[in-house]
Amino acid sequence: MATGAQKGTARAHEIYGDRAKRAKELKAEGKEIVGYLCIYPVIEIITAAGMVPYRLFGDLREPKTKVEACLPTVVCPYLRSVMDIGLKGRYDFLDGVVMAHACEVAEKLAHIWKTYIDTKYTFFIDTPHTVHDAAREHLRDILNDFRMSLEKYTGKKITDETITGAVKAHNEQRGLVRELFDLKKPDPPLISGVETVEALIAVMSLPVEEGNELLREVISEVKSRDAKGGNDKKRLLLWGSIIDDTALFELIEDVGADVVMDDTCVGTRPFFPDVEVTKDPLVGLADHYLVDLKCPRTFREAKYGELKKDYMEDLDSRFSYIKEFVDDWSVDGVILHSLRYCDIHGYEIPGLKDYFEHVGIKSIYIEPDYTEAALAPLRTRIEAFIETLD
Amino acid sequence: MAKEEKKRAISRPKAMYPLRSRIDEVYKLTVAAMQAGKPTAWSMVNWWEGDSIIMAMGIEAVYPENYGAVCAAMGTAQSYLERSDSEGFPSHMCGYARNCIGYAARMKDLGEIPPEAPMGGMPKPVLLMAAGTLCDTRYKWFQALGRYLDAPVWTLEIPQPGVEEGLEEGVHERNIQFMVKELREFVKFVESLLKKKMDWDRLEEIVSDILEMNRIWYETNELRKTKPCPMHSRDFWTCMTGCLYPAGDLKVLIKLYQDLYDETKKRVEENVGAVENEKYRLVFAELPPWHSLKIFDRLAERGWNFVIESWAYHPPKPLDLAGINDPIERMARFTYQWLTGYYKNALKNEEWWGYFAYPYLEYAREYQCDGAFLHPLITCRTATNHLYLVQDRLMKKYKVPSLVVEGDIVDLKLFDPEDAMRKAEAFEETMEHNREMRKKEGLEW
Repeated sequence: MATGAQKGTARAHEIYGDRAKRAKELKAEGKEIVGYLCIYPVIEIITAAGMVPYRLFGDLREPKTKVEACLPTVVCPYLRSVMDIGLKGRYDFLDGVVMAHACEVAEKLAHIWKTYIDTKYTFFIDTPHTVHDAAREHLRDILNDFRMSLEKYTGKKITDETITGAVKAHNEQRGLVRELFDLKKPDPPLISGVETVEALIAVMSLPVEEGNELLREVISEVKSRDAKGGNDKKRLLLWGSIIDDTALFELIEDVGADVVMDDTCVGTRPFFPDVEVTKDPLVGLADHYLVDLKCPRTFREAKYGELKKDYMEDLDSRFSYIKEFVDDWSVDGVILHSLRYCDIHGYEIPGLKDYFEHVGIKSIYIEPDYTEAALAPLRTRIEAFIETLD
Repeated sequence: MAKEEKKRAISRPKAMYPLRSRIDEVYKLTVAAMQAGKPTAWSMVNWWEGDSIIMAMGIEAVYPENYGAVCAAMGTAQSYLERSDSEGFPSHMCGYARNCIGYAARMKDLGEIPPEAPMGGMPKPVLLMAAGTLCDTRYKWFQALGRYLDAPVWTLEIPQPGVEEGLEEGVHERNIQFMVKELREFVKFVESLLKKKMDWDRLEEIVSDILEMNRIWYETNELRKTKPCPMHSRDFWTCMTGCLYPAGDLKVLIKLYQDLYDETKKRVEENVGAVENEKYRLVFAELPPWHSLKIFDRLAERGWNFVIESWAYHPPKPLDLAGINDPIERMARFTYQWLTGYYKNALKNEEWWGYFAYPYLEYAREYQCDGAFLHPLITCRTATNHLYLVQDRLMKKYKVPSLVVEGDIVDLKLFDPEDAMRKAEAFEETMEHNREMRKKEGLEW
């Protein structure tokens, strides 16, 4: 376990500020660290292999200078940033990297990474696009390949029981994160958006048990805070592409709103539904990663094999869970955030705007390009949006 | 005095023209089919696995990706792009998708095919056949069309494993069986949609025709390895649509492809090149500027012959399917071969992007290319992602330099032909230099 003097949100802040530090300590202790991109690599299997899953993030504040040679400017700037800092050696401590067909560019990045960055172990999970029965079975088989590949690399058997144990440990983490988000339901929320994202990024940089301990500390600390009673700040939900930096949260909270809920892949998405514990643990994992995760990268329809599309029914089937967030967290307005060149989120925008209009929620669309400079002009727009919520 | 007709720099095969006309007719046939009460589908290019099924079920298909290129070439795309933007779709999205969304929005307003739509337009579909292969747009776009159309969407699956993962024992067969299961589900779905049963004999015939058409087309492109190259990329792009977007009477298309093969073979025998004085042999990646194809004539005047191109639009490497009786399985194997047919060679060469990127290394070597013309598309991630890697690998492995000119497939504002020509002229020196370097390194061309 970590020996740092800091606890709770202070420790989360410290880890957020230097994510690699703890990973390097663990490596020095003999642990193997496996980087994973996005939320589709099945981290339970990495944990079951006795390795530490370590989420790959970019660096919003770092100019992208090396990536120009292997990934063009017209693709996801976050993924370009990940590759850029990888080429600069900032991920050299990783023993392995696991990527998945999370989106088109993430899939391609797996091959580009393998071409340019020498990592001892790599695996690519070809996550299907649909939630059809055959696709779920197919993913289960791919996860078995992943298990066997890790067995070959580590020289150790990964049993069903070990995977089930890892599923339970990660489910505990999911439960703790949900508990943390519950602390954002009061008005004002007991924990800010900035603190939340720091805690989650820290958790994704630690072994699961250590992350769970950190979450328990954070929850305990936040629960002990005095509820200040109502305030006049607007309560916002942030939807969209990856946000792996506090800068946008700082900006929003600085202009007088609270980010009380989100639907992003650093926030609620990987944590909200538990993985079902199944006799064959790979079945539960395949269903979770293909069906339960609500990233728009997966194709869904209101009813399997529907013969006619009803537009509002389709939107409701895909987005009603966000409406539940809006109701449960008393949200006043929604910020739709799609990074420039993020197709899977970009195509959702008119549909989401239609849906929120239909259910009476105001929304605004922003499209930053994963640079600090791009955030500054958003301040005025977000301020103006908040004013419309009165 | 009679005006002397200027000789064209690219010699187009005569057999290309009826093939082009036939392809153009398909749009009109589809509108006529709709007017006659036949079902129509909008289909993404799906490398035949879904096409064969809907054709056997009597559905006429049109291809909005191809229609995007048509609208770009005919000058009607701009208004559809603007309409898509005004509907709130981000402007950095795929030009083909924006064109189609704008078209669909306008069709919804009018309640009929927009009068300005080229080639008779695309009729209202009963089905949107999406595909998850290669790019996200090709299912997200059709999902987004729910705003304008009430047709259901079916997304076809084609596995895209990594090179190493895909060549692990048992993975190939398992992926085929996954595709077969999915295709059988698709058959059931189309049967429910049309309330009629699959005509399996018809499917057998269509699958055989698609395989035969692709065989001839593959062999035609093999002939282009000859020096001088007998067929230019412009003719590839014109003729590829028959194979890639199969529609209408396939027997007629097979005959037309055979005529093209015969003419190309005759050119080889007679030592006739598509460009009279072939000075430079080039590979083109990925999609051309449809609105500015004349630039290739200007380059041909300088002796540039484009001898191979656009991996994604080529038929798969040959595959023995004689022992496979089930037409669905045969189609699945053929489609999967298209995507993974280069994997074994990629693994041998320790190249990890087995489709899209690695094939260009084989192209450059086998077609003995002096240079690559890379065309990153501002609104198409898919045709652009791999280009810098291709540029790097071509130079490192074979001393084949690349000319990179940014543009777009639909939005003509994003491509500057004059700038491209200036860069091309300077690039000739680079090709000459690297020709010498290849000689020094003992490479065969």
